[in-house]
Amino acid sequence: MNDYPGASWLARYREQVNGDPELDVIGEWFNATFTLTFGERRYAVTIAKGKIADIVASPRLDGRAAFGFAAPVEVWKKFLSPDPPPLYHDFFAMLMRVPEFRLEGDSLVAMQNARALHRLMNIMRETGMPDA
Amino acid sequence: MPEFEPITGRYITIDIAGEWHRIFIEEAGRGLPLFCLHTAGNDSRQFRHLMNDGAITGRFRVIAFDMPYHGRSTPPDRWWLKKFRLTTESYIAIIRAVWLALGLERPTLLGCSMGGAIVLELAARYQDELAGIVGLESSAYAPGRYNDFLHHPAIHGGELCASYTYGLNSPYSPEVNRRENWWYYAQSGPGVYQGDVYFYSVDWDAREDVKKIDTARCKVALLTGEYDYSCTPAMTEAVAAAIPGSRYRLMKGMGHFPMIENYPGFRPYLLDALDHIAPQPM
Repeated sequence: MNDYPGASWLARYREQVNGDPELDVIGEWFNATFTLTFGERRYAVTIAKGKIADIVASPRLDGRAAFGFAAPVEVWKKFLSPDPPPLYHDFFAMLMRVPEFRLEGDSLVAMQNARALHRLMNIMRETGMPDA
Repeated sequence: MPEFEPITGRYITIDIAGEWHRIFIEEAGRGLPLFCLHTAGNDSRQFRHLMNDGAITGRFRVIAFDMPYHGRSTPPDRWWLKKFRLTTESYIAIIRAVWLALGLERPTLLGCSMGGAIVLELAARYQDELAGIVGLESSAYAPGRYNDFLHHPAIHGGELCASYTYGLNSPYSPEVNRRENWWYYAQSGPGVYQGDVYFYSVDWDAREDVKKIDTARCKVALLTGEYDYSCTPAMTEAVAAAIPGSRYRLMKGMGHFPMIENYPGFRPYLLDALDHIAPQPM
């Protein structure tokens, strides 16, 4: 549980994102680092031209990020479920209706990249459930 | 002969609240008028499946129009000198002007999202001139959708509005249809979706007015998708509870755009709602 979503899932996610044909079309201008926080676990995901260039676990204070998504593990489990319950099926839905799911940092950068970011988040579900 | 769809599109220029508007109207079928209202930041193309369904067009004259600023309807003269902001009153004036210009007698109004909202107010005000309303994703009060980024110089408005509304579809609706609706949203003019959401989430509050609807005079059918997070099923249940005699059905596995995201899934609910309003002879 503490390791959720786990290194193997993150590796699969990275592979899935970097092989995504849609991000090849829409991702060119998405260049930013954002964080994903699963309960206590925080990761910095660096995107270069719509591809994941790096994922750093527990980034140090010099690991800068423009924005991030944070939620308890229970919320992420619903979001990543192949049969997500209503309100947990989309990150915009969670931002509006699930108070525990938070957009942190500079929301302008997030929304400037809304199209590619939305695709990137939806690929999380397509990656399949974490083993943890 | 090419295989044309049975939809005909035309333009009329009409006076709406003292301004001339060139409005695009499309229709198909013959019979009782079924007057359809699209969602915020979108246009009448959302009703294309309904207009191609013989089970509907054999009984109903299905009519849909693009709101001013939307789709193929042009904004009024000097639009560049004012910010587009839809309000309850301006929305009603637009619909009423098109309704009267077309001479529709006792139409059934069918609206989705902001259209599903305004049909409630139209039913409250004009119930003796209506056969009934079909409210899709209808709420009497829907705060929470308005934000500045929907029309912002540092953000691509088309891509944001389209992505912002994409998750309102059910994850179970066919991707090709969800993507089509995404495209329509992306085609909306700058600030138009935001101007509509101003109506939907800022100006709109019909929680008292819906109580005036008398279903003995104007029938009310309400349909809401399980995955709609803008107008949740609970929000439509509240509307249904305030209108005695209304008929509410939850659409399992459906989202906020039933007529475009999954027409085959929506169809049985729609036919049932239309039978409620205009019963067929046994």
